[in-house]
Amino acid sequence: MANATRIFPSTEVLTLARGRALEPILKTEDLWKVYHSGKVEVPALRGVNMEVYPGEFVSIMGPSGCGKSTMLHVIGGLAQATRGRVLLDGNDLTTMTDAARTLLRRHKVGFVFQKFNLLPTLDAYHNIALAQHIHGNGFDPHRFEVVAKLLGISERLTHKPSELSGGEQQRVALARAIVSEPKIVLADEPTGNLDTKSSDAVLGLLRELNKDLGQTIVMITHNPDAAAYGNRVLHMRDGQVVDGPAVH
Amino acid sequence: MIRYMITQNVLHRPLRTLITAIAVAVEVTMVIMVVGLTTGLLQDYAKRTEGIGADVMVQPPSSSLFMNFGGAPMPISIADKLRRLDYVQAVSPVLISLNSVAALENIFGIDPASFREVSGGFVFYAGRDLQDPNDILVDDIYAKGKNVKVGQTLHILAHDFRVVGIVEHGKSARLFVLLSTLQEMAGAHDKASIFLIKADRSNHSAAVAEEAKQLLPGYEVRQPKDLMALMTSSNVPYLGTFINVMISIAVVVGFLVTFLSMYTTVIERTREIGVLKSLGASKSYIVRIILSETTLLCLVGSAVGIALSFALRAIIHDLHPSLPIQITYGWTVRAGLIAIAGGLLGSCYPAWIASRKDPVEALAYE
Repeated sequence: MANATRIFPSTEVLTLARGRALEPILKTEDLWKVYHSGKVEVPALRGVNMEVYPGEFVSIMGPSGCGKSTMLHVIGGLAQATRGRVLLDGNDLTTMTDAARTLLRRHKVGFVFQKFNLLPTLDAYHNIALAQHIHGNGFDPHRFEVVAKLLGISERLTHKPSELSGGEQQRVALARAIVSEPKIVLADEPTGNLDTKSSDAVLGLLRELNKDLGQTIVMITHNPDAAAYGNRVLHMRDGQVVDGPAVH
Repeated sequence: MIRYMITQNVLHRPLRTLITAIAVAVEVTMVIMVVGLTTGLLQDYAKRTEGIGADVMVQPPSSSLFMNFGGAPMPISIADKLRRLDYVQAVSPVLISLNSVAALENIFGIDPASFREVSGGFVFYAGRDLQDPNDILVDDIYAKGKNVKVGQTLHILAHDFRVVGIVEHGKSARLFVLLSTLQEMAGAHDKASIFLIKADRSNHSAAVAEEAKQLLPGYEVRQPKDLMALMTSSNVPYLGTFINVMISIAVVVGFLVTFLSMYTTVIERTREIGVLKSLGASKSYIVRIILSETTLLCLVGSAVGIALSFALRAIIHDLHPSLPIQITYGWTVRAGLIAIAGGLLGSCYPAWIASRKDPVEALAYE
């Protein structure tokens, strides 16, 4: 805890939290992630403390190599923390087995990546349906339709990723991330590969998802304009969150 | 969904799919053809022997099921002893010689009269029966395969024969000459390799066989109708081993090709595996995808292999009509299952590697 910086949620969310005894959907406590390069230890996260409440859209900014992506991987259960705690919807990821974290990702986390990461062999429809299939609750056509309409991709569902523009691909990736109604969406530089127009469209959609559906979102970016779409911005440097709340 | 995904994966990489499927097809074809050829030869031999029409065959002691491996010939005088047995209608001595020039063929030296009594006689497609020392009869399959016509000269066993007739196949050998001629050529005067016995009634076959055994202790007395059951790879020394070795080689080839194919696939699709993991796909889900894809490739390869086997059989039948290949339903299924088993075995390690990939590293893979 010595080097840790506690980051508090936005004033609106705090007010909501007090009023309704709201618990954070995501909480990290003295979170460390250390990589080993030969005999050298390389700490990527150095005691991160933060809380994200349901319905928040949190942007995390910072220079390259400051640990943003590592943090996203750890809080999303893709990587195991070296020490500290990550509580996601009440589940402590740091004590979970790999299989348990996989299950948690399946039911509670939606990822959006900079490079879209759509499966090239599947069309947009099946890329999205794949998430529902892995989720295991069967195909929900109503939810699928709502999401496709919301993201404006209903007309592009039969196209493969190679036939879609970057902006369209990212919208499909976004649809894939939210179609199974995850508790939290973790977006890693979602506009990093997009032009300004497509970036604005994707960020606008993220904000809509947050406002209209109450989707909790944590987005990593190094673009201040993109970060401004969130209702709270955190800054990271050298594996730590270095500032307090910034309410928009 | 998995079915759609693996179908798309397979179609997405047509060259890899083609190569893998062809390798599996070759494996399946190899198994089917090796078994088909050996079984075909054995069954054809048994069928042709049965087709002679004899009820009992007597061979020298320790003779093989195969007449041409019969060992030293027997004195022809045994025929008279056999004729005196109860229920015996006719006995025909046959001297068998093996022609190994160009192909392995039995030549029957027969006594036309007694052979006719035992077998019911030849059905002639052309020409006439044996009369002169240099006469030879060929069956229709031999004639078709070698393009032999009546009147033509055949140089066999360092002797020039004149083709005097073409007969219907099915009397064991494909070439027939006079017994005396073959005895002369082989230096086996008054000898025979086998005695063919016709019982007065077919239900007396067993009794005749029993009598012959008592008359000639130690001699091989067989009923041709039992040959079909005896002509299996397990009854022919080392044939079962040969088949097993060939099948093992085929399985190893299939295993290695599938292993390489799926291993390459897993490496190529590292990022996709990372994506699946980020979506919450379990290790078993990923293993299922890899193994399902392998199964699909093997099924396609097996289907192609089976089709290829039938095509090959047709081609071989055209080129070599006397070479029988027996493709059975049981062995086509078995060959397919062997290919799938080998393929699944080969993809186990790639599937295991895929399931254990670190999702963060996989997502960062370029």
